[in-house]
Amino acid sequence: MPKIAIPTALRRYANEQAAVTVEGTTIKEALASMTAQFPDLQKHLFDGEGKLRSFVNVYVNDEDIRYQQQDDTPISDNDDISIIPSIAGGSGAESRAADALPDLSKDEIARYARHLIMPEVGMEGQRKLKAASILLIGTGGLGSPLGLYLAAAGIGRLGLVDFDVVDKSNLQRQIIHGTKDVGRPKIQSAKDRIGDVNPHVQIDSYELALRSENALDIVKEYDVIIDGTDNFQTRYLANDASVLLGKPNVYGSIFRFDGQASVFHPAAGGPCYRCLYPEPPPPGLVPSCAEGGVLGILPGIIGVIQATEAVKLILGEGEPLIGRLLLFDALKMKFKELKLRKNPDCPLCGTNPTIKELIDYDQFCGITPPAPEVKTEAAADSWEITPTQLKARLDKGDKITIVDVREINEWHISNLEDYGSTLIPLGEFQARHSELNPDDEIVVHCKMGGRSAKAYGILKNAGFTKIQNLKGGILAWADEVDNSMAKY
Amino acid sequence: MAVNVTKQHLDEIRQHGERTFPEECGGLLLGVLEGETRVIKETLPLENIRKDSRHNRVEISPLDYAKAEREAGKKGLGVWGYYHSHPNHPAIPSGFDLDHAPFIEWSYLIVSVRDGAAQEVRAWTVREDRSQFDEESLLIHEATPSSTKN
Repeated sequence: MPKIAIPTALRRYANEQAAVTVEGTTIKEALASMTAQFPDLQKHLFDGEGKLRSFVNVYVNDEDIRYQQQDDTPISDNDDISIIPSIAGGSGAESRAADALPDLSKDEIARYARHLIMPEVGMEGQRKLKAASILLIGTGGLGSPLGLYLAAAGIGRLGLVDFDVVDKSNLQRQIIHGTKDVGRPKIQSAKDRIGDVNPHVQIDSYELALRSENALDIVKEYDVIIDGTDNFQTRYLANDASVLLGKPNVYGSIFRFDGQASVFHPAAGGPCYRCLYPEPPPPGLVPSCAEGGVLGILPGIIGVIQATEAVKLILGEGEPLIGRLLLFDALKMKFKELKLRKNPDCPLCGTNPTIKELIDYDQFCGITPPAPEVKTEAAADSWEITPTQLKARLDKGDKITIVDVREINEWHISNLEDYGSTLIPLGEFQARHSELNPDDEIVVHCKMGGRSAKAYGILKNAGFTKIQNLKGGILAWADEVDNSMAKY
Repeated sequence: MAVNVTKQHLDEIRQHGERTFPEECGGLLLGVLEGETRVIKETLPLENIRKDSRHNRVEISPLDYAKAEREAGKKGLGVWGYYHSHPNHPAIPSGFDLDHAPFIEWSYLIVSVRDGAAQEVRAWTVREDRSQFDEESLLIHEATPSSTKN
């Protein structure tokens, strides 16, 4: 009867035999006879649909059955049948064979001429870029230079995720959008601009918020994920979805004059975002760019670093930022580099992961805390006051102390000085709250209500009882009460 | 899991990587399984059969593999792993390596070769769900008298 030679690595599933005796007159029958005797071999050799796994080759007397009659290749008792793995390796992140790459048109060759003459790119590299797909999460500060440069570089397919609308305050840094685009969905504005930069790029638009429910379906369609988000929920979500699907995640973040960038890629042996920051900061502790500001040029620098890393990953050239955190200080004009180590106890990419699917990221980041214990509706409401309610009380002549907890630069843009507002920035609040009288009625406010909620907590802990937070901050005041007030 | 090699094996892998630089090299690791440790007894340098992208791709002939299994069997050994070089790249597996790693039971050794000089060798295994590589302990033991005589 015919025998099938079993690779050393799989003999533990075949009773430690180097060759198993089978029955049958074709390869199909012989393999079926083998797995009937040794069912554990099934999942190592065949995929879920019962097809031989891509790395499994079957040879009959030194001939690959793929070049004979495949499954129907006839066998006789004297034939040597072998199961032989394909063994290949290589550096670089992409995983396509060169012969499957798309060709470049004459127009594309003219367009990418400066790439094509570089040894690190050349025709093969440019075809890799054309075959590649990149998901940009966010088309804001980082997403703008990313979208423009990646499109110009000839990435074949770009996915854009954003649900926001272009606001005048975006134009200081989000250079993919123009003055004429104010009020338009960012995704449409970005799509128009990218189409102009390079009509060869296919754009997939996702005008939605990336959520646990949709992230895996979107992320799985792309080779490289780029995190250009401005909030911790989406950052952890992008990280977790990328790690679960084995995709590289090119990370960047910006604040005022400081930026960071890295490449998280556990599938290539590197750490992930959770290895760097296992837990998000408490809400309100780390100010966002909307609260703290950002130098308009900074996302240009960090976004272009992210674009460079993405292109390197696709080309398989150079040394990626895997396991390294790049820190940039624009005031000192200095780059620093920190070595990032993979955390063996990381709940996501460590040796014994506990996170195996996406979670509720709002809850993880403390955005929707568990429902308060016993709190009546009135009590829950009373910690906040809307701008309209506050204005009505002030007009009645009620004596209310308004405390602005923003920074002095924000005060200069707009303030409630006409109503006797006092400025105590949040950073000084702990030290200076004694300037306030606990017997007064106090309303605290900031730009949008986040920082003043922290100030509210500080006063509450200090024994103040007559405090309220201005709901929606001074921006809500501008919307509800005073349309002439400048917004930022 | 761990993989156990001699300094001589590491030298052989490094030298193979330096000989083929700037192209990648590859070969098989023959040995025995002792408990949880793959004890390597011989390295088997093989030819890179790729015609293109040889600076960042390597492929082993299936017939060379079949022959290695037969020869190893005669000596009471088996094929327990695979090594290859990363010219001018770190000894960290790529996405391509993950897609092309056949067995979760194997050790995968990678040698980084920078500008023609072999650097670090690191050992990796594939996680059971094939989602990623984990680094494994690379134990270096002294050559046994029988193997130094060969």
